[in-house]
Amino acid sequence: MTNNRPRAWLLLFPATVFLLAVFVYPVGVFLLSSFRLENGVGLDNYFTFFSSEVNIEVYWRTVRIALLVTLVSAVVSYPAALAIMQLGAQYRGLLIGLIILPLMISPVARSFAWLVVLGREGLINKTLVGTGVLKESIPILYTENAVFIGLLQLMLPLMLLSLTSALENLPRDVIAAARSLGANSLQVFTRVILPLTRDGLTIGGTLVFTGCVTAYVTPALLGGPRVTMLATLLYQKAGVTVDEAATTVISMVMLLTTLAVNAALKSRSRGAA
Amino acid sequence: MNKKVMLVAGAVISSAIFSLAVGQQRTLTISSFGLNQPLIDKNVTRPFETLCNCKIVYEVGNNADRLAKLIARKNNPNIDVALLGDYFAQAAIREGLLDQLDTRKIPNRNQIYDFAKNPLGNDYGVAFTAYTISLAYRTDKISTPLTSWRDLWRPELKGRIALPNITTTQGPPVVFAVNRAYAGTDSNVNPGFQQLAALKPNILTFYNQSSQVASLFAQDEIWVAPIGRFAWGTMLNTGKPLAWARLREGQIGLMNTVSIVKGTKNEDLAHQYINFLISKEVQLAQANDLVDSPINKTVQLKPAKAAQLTTLGEFANMRFLDAKYLLGVRDEWIARWNKEIAR
Repeated sequence: MTNNRPRAWLLLFPATVFLLAVFVYPVGVFLLSSFRLENGVGLDNYFTFFSSEVNIEVYWRTVRIALLVTLVSAVVSYPAALAIMQLGAQYRGLLIGLIILPLMISPVARSFAWLVVLGREGLINKTLVGTGVLKESIPILYTENAVFIGLLQLMLPLMLLSLTSALENLPRDVIAAARSLGANSLQVFTRVILPLTRDGLTIGGTLVFTGCVTAYVTPALLGGPRVTMLATLLYQKAGVTVDEAATTVISMVMLLTTLAVNAALKSRSRGAA
Repeated sequence: MNKKVMLVAGAVISSAIFSLAVGQQRTLTISSFGLNQPLIDKNVTRPFETLCNCKIVYEVGNNADRLAKLIARKNNPNIDVALLGDYFAQAAIREGLLDQLDTRKIPNRNQIYDFAKNPLGNDYGVAFTAYTISLAYRTDKISTPLTSWRDLWRPELKGRIALPNITTTQGPPVVFAVNRAYAGTDSNVNPGFQQLAALKPNILTFYNQSSQVASLFAQDEIWVAPIGRFAWGTMLNTGKPLAWARLREGQIGLMNTVSIVKGTKNEDLAHQYINFLISKEVQLAQANDLVDSPINKTVQLKPAKAAQLTTLGEFANMRFLDAKYLLGVRDEWIARWNKEIAR
């Protein structure tokens, strides 16, 4: 055993050097520069950023939409994942392939397709007006709802895949055992399935939340300047107004927010287990 | 086996020779707008590449994006020639990004209108086109023609207007025009901002590129948008019934200028390109494809084409916006816009 240790370090060496050189070092320097002031270091850049009402609004909107997408994707994915697990192996492969399919389409192409569906003369409005549900078409595009719908479709596969693989590791007999002991469907889910698949939920939740916070194309195309999110604000500060302080602050805030949500999900799953 | 080795070696050597030959060809890198790029390639890029035996590479994007990139690479520029809206060019001058032109190397400069010869001052660039900003609108949806900026506030236009975002080239001029239409002045833009804030119910979204406006018209999302005349050809391609409003407040005008980036290693080639860009042939070809309105006096257009462009007669009556004024107020307007209008 002890003989293997030097070799393990040796094997890790190239990957470690690579990550340090091209990721940890540049990103670290970039993020730390958010504390750099004209003379010395401090939190002034953060105070400046959060003193703007507009910026706070953007921050809460981002967190709100990301949390909502994470929650809804979990609610929608659990039944779907359970259904997939109950199907035979040959169908399972096909369905998982279909889940992955949207991930293979460029987000730009996908967002443009949404423009057609969500528009005033788009599929949804035409259907709702045609069937008499609505008197006249309503604006969906360029609202928070459009961003929510676009992000949910974009991120749902990540949650579904995480839950499917968590359910795959669930011992088959536990559900039957719970049932034989008299648990109803709801109890089976809340007392057996949910606690045993929490790791999958944590992974899926972190992926979806992080994905929502960092997504650029979807909010830019479906929300527009009216529904500015952190990622689109970051682009504006970096590319248009060239505000270096705000750029580094936004990046740091994005990182800390996703780390916080990840930690919260982890502690919940550990606490329950 | 030997034959194979010989073949491979031969291929390697010949490709090395080929790349050497290509390597001798010089490359001119141009920062440009990107709208109508296939037509620009046909009218400008390919003819110039044949003429100069060089290669042209473009970096495209809107003015604000490209100016930010020029600033970021100030100490190690990768751009030789920059095509910019005039007040972005002024910003570039202020940042020390541009070189003065050697006008002796641009003989075609004698053929362009006087206002286009030295619009930035100190020969920092020449204008290669000028255009008006007005309202493009759907004639099948709006029965009473739009004749004033104030018509944007009509209740029938609820949710049917796309405005240029403040960070675009057209954004500040639209604020300027609206402010004037509501009796504001250069030193008091409150009327303009107050009116625009009241316009919110009518605004569907804010656009960052003219191409977005074209797709919004094409999908019947919007009925009106303030746009630059240079985008008119793109709008007509949507096949929708569109009209160009003749506004009673008068025509406001902007110019697009071409300049040489400080630190270029292709200074002679850059001058040659600028001279080519304002030549009669290129200006005529660009005008006939509705890419840009010509500023070369010797260009003769058929009346049908001239009607779709900003033309000679209009230049005389046009009120060019003061680029230095816009530059001075832009940051303040962006902050105010984000706070009062874009939410």
